[in-house]
Amino acid sequence: MNILIWIIQIVFIPIMSPLCVGIIRKIKAKLQNRKGASIFQPYNDLWKLFNKDEVISKDASWVFRYAPFVIFSVTIFVGMSVPIFMSFVNNTFTSDILVIIYMLALGTFFLALSGLDTGGAFGGFGSSREMTMSALAEGGFIFSLLTISFIAGTTNLLAISNVGILQHGHLLLSSILAFISFFIILLAENTRYPFDNPSTHLELTMIHEAMILEYSGKRLALIEWASSNKLLIFISLGSSLFFPWGIAGALSLSALLFGLFIFCLKVFIFCLAIAVLESSIAKLRFFKLPDLLLIAFILNVIAIILIF
Amino acid sequence: MNILFYTILPEIVLLSIISLHLVKKNSEMVFLYGFQSIAIVLMLFCSFLTTGKLSLLLVTVVVLLAKVILAPLFFNKLILKHKLVFSVKKYVNTSFSLVIIAILIITAYSDKFTSLTNIIPANHASLSLAFSAMLLSLFLIVNSRGALSQIVAILSLENSIVAFAVFAELEQSAGLQIGIVFDIFVWMIVATMFVSMIQKHFGSIDVTSMKNLKD
Repeated sequence: MNILIWIIQIVFIPIMSPLCVGIIRKIKAKLQNRKGASIFQPYNDLWKLFNKDEVISKDASWVFRYAPFVIFSVTIFVGMSVPIFMSFVNNTFTSDILVIIYMLALGTFFLALSGLDTGGAFGGFGSSREMTMSALAEGGFIFSLLTISFIAGTTNLLAISNVGILQHGHLLLSSILAFISFFIILLAENTRYPFDNPSTHLELTMIHEAMILEYSGKRLALIEWASSNKLLIFISLGSSLFFPWGIAGALSLSALLFGLFIFCLKVFIFCLAIAVLESSIAKLRFFKLPDLLLIAFILNVIAIILIF
Repeated sequence: MNILFYTILPEIVLLSIISLHLVKKNSEMVFLYGFQSIAIVLMLFCSFLTTGKLSLLLVTVVVLLAKVILAPLFFNKLILKHKLVFSVKKYVNTSFSLVIIAILIITAYSDKFTSLTNIIPANHASLSLAFSAMLLSLFLIVNSRGALSQIVAILSLENSIVAFAVFAELEQSAGLQIGIVFDIFVWMIVATMFVSMIQKHFGSIDVTSMKNLKD
């Protein structure tokens, strides 16, 4: 049974993540009075890319060739370590907040390296922008997870989701501030509005897309898939750590099914929030972004002050 | 009931004041003030349920009428009349404001003010939150450039003082409390007229434009 649980934990994020992207796109289309593509379109896109030939620059080194595999592997590793809809899995090795944060940072590092590797102008400025954003978002991300680990009294993500931070009524304000900050970081790390436009290819504004312009075929598919994995990982962290209601605390079929249902509901609410936000606000100028990330960081500092 | 009264409500008051520092629209500011006032009303109502004093219920109803219903109504009419949508200007930018907020909260929680926040040792946490809210409201007053946001900041300070008084068990007689609410209501009307006059004379409610008076 344990093996089955681990298999679910490993494959759940990569299987469901394209659907998550599809749902966000569909909601955005509906909000713009468009019919929009099917919510399963990202699966078709991945399938198409996996069956295409690729073109690799003659100047590309091993970094460019292997980075997509590293980035994708990182998201699989992190995906199996975060609490999704069950918290009874005993994982004291990889479920620590620092392991998660730095594994995700490793993925970002390789993505930025691959953008620089071929020497293209777009890749270079994309990597530069990505690293600027990551450096600023890192502090907010660490502090938001640190806030909830202070509240829960542990740095293990599965244990935090077991505790249920909202049960500590006197730390509600800290939890709310940490969540607001986490949500800002979610948007920044996943290059969503107001930090980046995930569907743009305009050189003045793109960040993530600029880094992967040189990729095609299977490697592009892996990067796109990793990117949607990362989004679902952040949504899972947000839903399981800040709203751990319904999460299966014991191994039973009914608890697992209920946990899965509640998790899907929470993911849908997050997708809805992201889609509504993206349809209602404009992208911020790049030089305004540090202010927003600084706000996320300071909100966490206030949250931590209120805990002590 | 205890969790709602001693933890959630003062946290809502503080959260609303932090949000008042972040919002850009006057209407959002008025909404947040109304939201904060609901927390104050609930606080007074919980206090009534605990003590059973009918005078407290009367105060609760008066506060509900004045702060939750009438004040936001007045301000919203003012916003609509003068089209004051985006005028929550601040002297200090948002990120630096938040740094100052963090410092003020540390100050409120510091040992320097223990004598004040420990009046009722059992309510120390709630009193610290209410005291933080008072400091943040004071900062909001000095940091706001728009007349309307200054008025909301002053009212927010008054709400924080009420919260502090409730947790410090410094409730006065019902007559005095209703008098204070009435006083605030009259002050609100005067302030609204004052804003209208500034808008009419200077074409803006930015108080820095009043330096033109010397010309």
